Amino acid sequence: MTIVVAYKWAPNPQDAAVGSDGSVDFSRAKSAISEYDPVAFELARQVADATGAEVVGVTVGDASIDTSLARKAALSRGLDRLVIVADDRLAGADSTRLAAVLAAVVRGIGDVDLVLAGESSVDVTEGQVAMTLAGQLGWLGLNAVSSVSATDGGYAIERDVPSGTASMVLTGPAVLAATTDAVLSRVPGMKDILGAAKKPVEVLSLDMLDVSSAQVTLTAVSASRPAAGNRQRVIIDGSDPTAAAAELVGALRAAKVL
Amino acid sequence: MTSDAAGPDFDVVVVGAGIAGSVTAYRLAERGLSVVLIERGDVPGSKNLSGGVLYGRVLETVFPHYLNEAPVERRITRHVTTFLNADSAVSLDYSADGLAEPGNAVTVLRAKFDPWLAGKAEEAGAFLMPGVRVDSLLTGPGLDGATTVVGVRAGDDELRARVVVAADGVNSFLASSVGLRQKQPTNHLAVGVKAVIRLPRADIESRFGVSGDRGAAHAIVGDCTLGIGGGGFIYTNTESLSLGVVLRLDDLLRSGHTAIEVFEHFTQHPGLQQYLHGGELIEYGSHLVAEGGYPMVGEVAMNGMLVAGESAGLAINSGLTVRGMDLAIGSAIAASDAVVEAVAAGDTSKAGLAGYRRRLDESFVMQDMRTSARAPKFLERNRMYGPYGELIADVLQNAFSLDGTPREHLLNVARHALRRSPLTLRQLISDGWAGVRAL
Amino acid sequence: MNVSSQTWIVVADDPAVTALVVAARALSAEVTAVVAGRRATAESVAAAGVDRVLWLGEPAEGTPVEAYAPDVARTVADGAPRAVLGSSDGAGRVMLGAIAALLQAPVLSGVIAVEHDGDQIGVTRSVFGGVAERRDLVTGGPAIIALAGGDVGDPSGAAVPVEEVTANPLTTGRLTGVRKKEKAPVNLGAARTVVAVGRGLKAKADLALITGLADAIGGELACSRPLAEGVDWIPKERNVGISGQQIAPELYVAIGISGQLQHMVGVRDAGVIVAVNSDKAALIFKQCDYGIVGDLYTVVPALTAALAPKP
Repeated sequence: MTIVVAYKWAPNPQDAAVGSDGSVDFSRAKSAISEYDPVAFELARQVADATGAEVVGVTVGDASIDTSLARKAALSRGLDRLVIVADDRLAGADSTRLAAVLAAVVRGIGDVDLVLAGESSVDVTEGQVAMTLAGQLGWLGLNAVSSVSATDGGYAIERDVPSGTASMVLTGPAVLAATTDAVLSRVPGMKDILGAAKKPVEVLSLDMLDVSSAQVTLTAVSASRPAAGNRQRVIIDGSDPTAAAAELVGALRAAKVL
Repeated sequence: MTSDAAGPDFDVVVVGAGIAGSVTAYRLAERGLSVVLIERGDVPGSKNLSGGVLYGRVLETVFPHYLNEAPVERRITRHVTTFLNADSAVSLDYSADGLAEPGNAVTVLRAKFDPWLAGKAEEAGAFLMPGVRVDSLLTGPGLDGATTVVGVRAGDDELRARVVVAADGVNSFLASSVGLRQKQPTNHLAVGVKAVIRLPRADIESRFGVSGDRGAAHAIVGDCTLGIGGGGFIYTNTESLSLGVVLRLDDLLRSGHTAIEVFEHFTQHPGLQQYLHGGELIEYGSHLVAEGGYPMVGEVAMNGMLVAGESAGLAINSGLTVRGMDLAIGSAIAASDAVVEAVAAGDTSKAGLAGYRRRLDESFVMQDMRTSARAPKFLERNRMYGPYGELIADVLQNAFSLDGTPREHLLNVARHALRRSPLTLRQLISDGWAGVRAL
Repeated sequence: MNVSSQTWIVVADDPAVTALVVAARALSAEVTAVVAGRRATAESVAAAGVDRVLWLGEPAEGTPVEAYAPDVARTVADGAPRAVLGSSDGAGRVMLGAIAALLQAPVLSGVIAVEHDGDQIGVTRSVFGGVAERRDLVTGGPAIIALAGGDVGDPSGAAVPVEEVTANPLTTGRLTGVRKKEKAPVNLGAARTVVAVGRGLKAKADLALITGLADAIGGELACSRPLAEGVDWIPKERNVGISGQQIAPELYVAIGISGQLQHMVGVRDAGVIVAVNSDKAALIFKQCDYGIVGDLYTVVPALTAALAPKP
């Protein structure tokens, strides 16, 4: 069987420049494996080590996601091989389109019974793609997954639910989004990175995939940068902590929040 | 050489994918050596605070016509030196389009430039390994009985090589871990505060009188530093400005101001508002400049290891700016030629690698280092306050022998050193030690 | 696609739906709810001010509500609504994902405002984790919108009948048990005062300083992401920011928090923000009402002392 890790090579919006017109420029932002995803790699590797399954990484996006750096970063995290769809027609694609492309890749791989993903992406931060992928595949989608282990004929999982931790057994294919603290993910070592360069990478063309086209589209009307907020910004020198504390407490009492 | 039956994993391990490391790796790979280029950041350039103007002629010798493909911001064709008073300014404006060919000086943003350079090394066949922090050197006894470097260790993994090139930056802990760099001197210290602000292209071009890919470099002295020895600079990038101050540490301390206050005074100065107003801060950091000039370049080679770039103390503090990138390229050229020679001869001992120092001495690198050493000293040895200098030396020695550890850890080191010093933590922090934490 | 003027809401066995109902009512006169889960949930939704409730039947023992996502999607597609609203938490995402996949439409998250714009629906969203906002018109089919669910006031309107719809839930996953949490869940959202701590804290043992201040000020303890997910010093239910909770207390005290955007979007609507940070250049000083530049290890004890009742 095969376990797919669906992950994202993404820039951090913290490094993005936001224009006063609301334009978001990621050109100075450094891309990396989206920080929600390493846990999915680790869970997949641990399960596969127990069952002998193959672990295949899948990522889709614009052309910039396929660099040797990006390949090594993913392959050094315990994948057996990697499948990439890197096409500028996917630049800025919404969650449904990305999920449709991922679904086409997963169907193409064939004997997949588990897709593991992070809870969200560091750039878009919507937390939707994995669950839409479940919808595309017609599989059970579950988020907040905190543990996965193999059983006879399936998997046992645990999930964080508001009342506590729910246990489940899976007897068919599923898409699971893992919590960021589900498992401690290893930092790739030098040998992992050297080994990564020897693993197979398949680059699929978007044209080869059977992806249904979007029915609903968005037309941008306007964009803006959120107001910084009119905070008072009263800054107190804390070199005399007692005086600073007294000043602050006085101000908060005057503002009637204490 | 070691008697390791398995033999080395690579001919050369280069640590640090900054300018010195990437150029070294590129030139070695070009000549058929197997090279791994290890970088601490997830992406080359991501840990780098320095940068601004690159005197690029020497890079032209490594990458002919590099200007056609490298991500340089602007070619400097206008050098302005301004003497600033509280309400007046006198400027020397030297402008010549000839300076653009073949690119005497260009502005670069390291976050873009370093990945390009590392990419060139990778294209040439070097194995780029980002996101790896080298913990220590692997050493063994050499034929001459002296310590021989045989590789590096990171986490549980070891990589063995015939030669290790340490290009891990100004506070190279690799070099100091084997005694190649002695305790930092307490004189000749400066604090640099640098920022990048975003400004529309059209504003840059109208304010600085440049157009197309041409740019300006402004050096500023006088009131902008509140009378503290040192100066300021403003460089034009394509759609941003790099600006900052370099301050003599003893003078700064005496003034009672913090480096950040001086930097703020600089950016708010009425005489500079015409250039800076409306800019949006996108990058900020400070950097301790421990520049001892020529006398500080000590041993640059030992059995199995070379030190290149700023790791070798190769930096020149002009008083207003710090120059290091072209020296890094020069040292990379010398280092790679020496390594090729040593590997071919089968002798990577200190004697086998002696060609590095010889080439360095013959090149512009050491000639410029010597020239700057004879120039009137910007930073006077006798002006340093004892306790401060000792504290800095102590922190440098201790903090950077750990390298790359989280900021808490570094601060703890600083705090630990502080307990033995008569200074307060507040003084320490306010005096630009953000640089230590940022490293 | 022939789109009706209706707005539908989808409910994944969570009876707290008045926030969704209020938002749906603002878009259309008629609101239909599709409910997956227990009959009790469907009955509760039927009394929450909707016009129609379609219920997918009582789940068999052990069937997770997510197993109904394909049925929910088919039911919604049959109704061809103009807008579909669901919860952005938990199983809501699974339902919206199935609908989005079937209708080939994006799920719109981070929604700030939804309104009619002529014949179309205009949606204003916060994008890229809050660094920018944009407004789009949705064309070609329904607007699928993820909103923070929950209750905002009491349900209104007479109860409507629950109509049962045949469903074939997925049978590939079975619930086998729930281990209850030992401690009562934290309700940061309801706290009037919140004291949060970030990376400035050097050691877990030093948390006592912060809880001391929280006690003195009468506030709940919270943190920025590194302390909840990096070092695990504080339970992640107390994490504020993009990856955690968005809260709006009357007073928010941020200690040793640099003020990165991912954290600050979580307290954008707080009444008064106080910051304590040793780095004068920290971003948070540009986003606070009161800031103390100083070492938290000296400032926090001083604050705690200043708040103590005078003898």
